[in-house]
This record gives sequence, structure tokens and C-alpha cells, in this order.
Amino acid sequence: MAGLTKSSVVYDARGLVEPDPEPPMTAEIDGDRAVIDATDLTTRKINLELRRIVYDEGVDDVTILNPGSKHSLGVGILKRCHITFEGSPGWYACGLIDGPEVQINGRVGWSLAENMMSGSVVVEGPAGSLTGAALRGGDLVIKGNVGARTGIDQKGGTIIVTGSAGINTAFMMQRGRQIVCGDVGNGLGDSMYDGLIYVGGDIASLGVDCVPGEMDDADHEFINRKFEIYGLGTPPDLKKFECGKVLHNYDALEPSERKLVL
Amino acid sequence: MAQKSIAIDAEVLAGKRFGYQEDISLVDDLDLMDLTPGRDLNWLEDIHLLEEDGTPAVFDRNSNSFLKIYFAIPEGREDEIARKVLMKHLISGNSYGIQLKEKHCKFHQVELGPWVADSKSVGDDYTPPVLEGWEPPVH
Repeated sequence: MAGLTKSSVVYDARGLVEPDPEPPMTAEIDGDRAVIDATDLTTRKINLELRRIVYDEGVDDVTILNPGSKHSLGVGILKRCHITFEGSPGWYACGLIDGPEVQINGRVGWSLAENMMSGSVVVEGPAGSLTGAALRGGDLVIKGNVGARTGIDQKGGTIIVTGSAGINTAFMMQRGRQIVCGDVGNGLGDSMYDGLIYVGGDIASLGVDCVPGEMDDADHEFINRKFEIYGLGTPPDLKKFECGKVLHNYDALEPSERKLVL
Repeated sequence: MAQKSIAIDAEVLAGKRFGYQEDISLVDDLDLMDLTPGRDLNWLEDIHLLEEDGTPAVFDRNSNSFLKIYFAIPEGREDEIARKVLMKHLISGNSYGIQLKEKHCKFHQVELGPWVADSKSVGDDYTPPVLEGWEPPVH
């Protein structure tokens, strides 16, 4: 058939396409610090270089210049280190990380720090929808507004938004904590199982089974501690929301089901 | 007839009980702040003392199992002790999920996770297992 030729794509032992698995070797390393200029690099090459620097060279402090809103940057880093983006990464930045402390001096697209296990990500600007989706642990700080469904399916960790959040914030939240200093859209905490949500501004509407809670000393200690750690100043007056445990209730789950969210 | 248990706890997976499940002195001097990123407990904030089969326990998500604690836990230190027992379990490499990494990891990982500096690499040279005598079906 015209137009069809035998594929020359090669799959590695894991079943993945590896068109060119070699890192570009372009980073400038100075002692325990390194700088990667991402201007002329593809997403794959940036991540290969980042892994080489962190894992093979043992550098613990990496700065990525000119990320150019490329997607999926800084994903899957499973080591304690410091990563700074000077500029804006695109979608899915810093997903699946376990340990890094990330500073983003820019804005980010959808699904920042999806499935983060531990570490921290601080953004000096706004973020898109699905920020912190399925977050498992660590701190995610957004110094600006976020889009819809922030912390959807969140299973742990803390998300702090200094601005406002869109619709369905904390949708199906299962554990963890969210602090939104500004307003939130419709459906806050819809279908949540557990976890805590604090909101400083107006709430368009609560979602199913999201109910107001009483602030206690532990809440204030937690909020003040996080604001101090990340230099966010004095926290605003916050209202607390939690699960009404009518729609979903862990106590009614089988032990094996309960483990899925621990 | 022996009662069948559906629970899977860490000592069942390991085939033995670990000393730090029975002796608080083996975990008490752990520095949790040093073992976690940032300036607070980070992911350990979500770790709390739970109960499994009527025994105090902490959940190890790396092996999807409970790690029971058999020593008396001082009042007011429940979560702290649970976190220390869990971290001792992880940094000792005794978590079953960590033990599986050496053979089954398909991608680079540090064996003991981000908790231990200079932990060895696993998953860099993954080769798929071969079943003797098996040939892929002809499609």
C-alpha cells in the first residue's frame, strides 16, 4: 500500500521507544551546582541531562534556564536535590517526583507535580488546572491563581494557593490538606472522602458532602507553620471544610480497600 | 481448622519480625527532619499511628502492608513513634517493596528511596525475564 513502509522504530527492553537515549552533555557544572540551558533542547534531552546531572554527576543543585513552556520537564526525579526553573515549564512539570525541592520562577501549565510522593514545589506565579493531581505527599505552593480541579484525587501532602482557585477544587480528595487564600469556584470538595480544606475568600458553592468544620489549635499551628516556612506572611482568616462522611466513609470500607488510600 | 487471615503485614512478607518492632530504643534516636526534604516533616505529615488486627501499626505504602509495633508507645508520642518505626524499616531496606526493586525495577531508582544519601542505583540495566521453552505466538 502506498505510503506505508516498515517501521524503523526500536523498542528497548522495557517496551519504550528510545530514539536517542544519550544526554546532550551540555550542562555547565561548577562544583555541586549545575546549569542547563534548555533553549535548543527537546523535552527528552532536557530530562536526560537533568537525570545525568543529578544521578550520575551527583550534583544536588541544578538550574534549568529557558524551559520555554516545554511539557513534562523534571519528571520522575527520585532523589533529594534542588531544582530551579528560571522561566516557565509547560504541562505535567515535576510529576512523579520523590524528594526534590523545586523552585519555579515562572508560571506553569496543567497538572503540576502530579503524583508527587515527597519534596516540595514552589511556583512564583499562577498554575493551570489539575495542579497537584493525585498528590501523595510533600508541599506544593502556588503564589498566584490556579485553574480547575486543583488537587483532584489528592491522597496526601499539602497544597497552598495564595490566589484563587477554579471549579471543583479538591474534587474526590482522599487525604491531605489544601489552603486557598482567595476565592474558589463551584463544587468545592465535591465527593471528597477525607482531608481538610481551608479557604480565605468567597466560595461559589460547596460540592456534594463537603461541609464546614471548626478551626482548632492544630489547624492554626499547621497553617502558621507552613506560611512561615514558605515566607507567605500572615495567613488570612480561613474557613475550614471537611468531609461530611455521608457519601463516602472509610469506616465502611474493607481493610484491603482502605489500604489503597493510605 | 486454622483461621485464614486476609491481612498482609510486613512481618508476613519478610518471614520474620524486626527488632525495631519490639524495642523503642532502636528507633528513638532517629532524626525525622534529617530524613525528609525541606524544613518540616514533609510527606511524613501524612503518616499516623493506626491499628491492624488490634495491634498498633504504621502503614508502609512501599509494600502495601502494615508494620505492627509491639512495644509500649509513650502517651502523646504516637505519631512520632509510628513515623520513626516506618523510617527505620525503610532506611534498613527491609520493606518488601524495596527488596523487589533490585530484580524488577525497569527504570533508574535509588534503592532506599530519597531518605538515604548515596543509596545504590537499581533499575539501570533491566533485562526482561525469559521463560525457558516459551515462544511468542504467531499473529
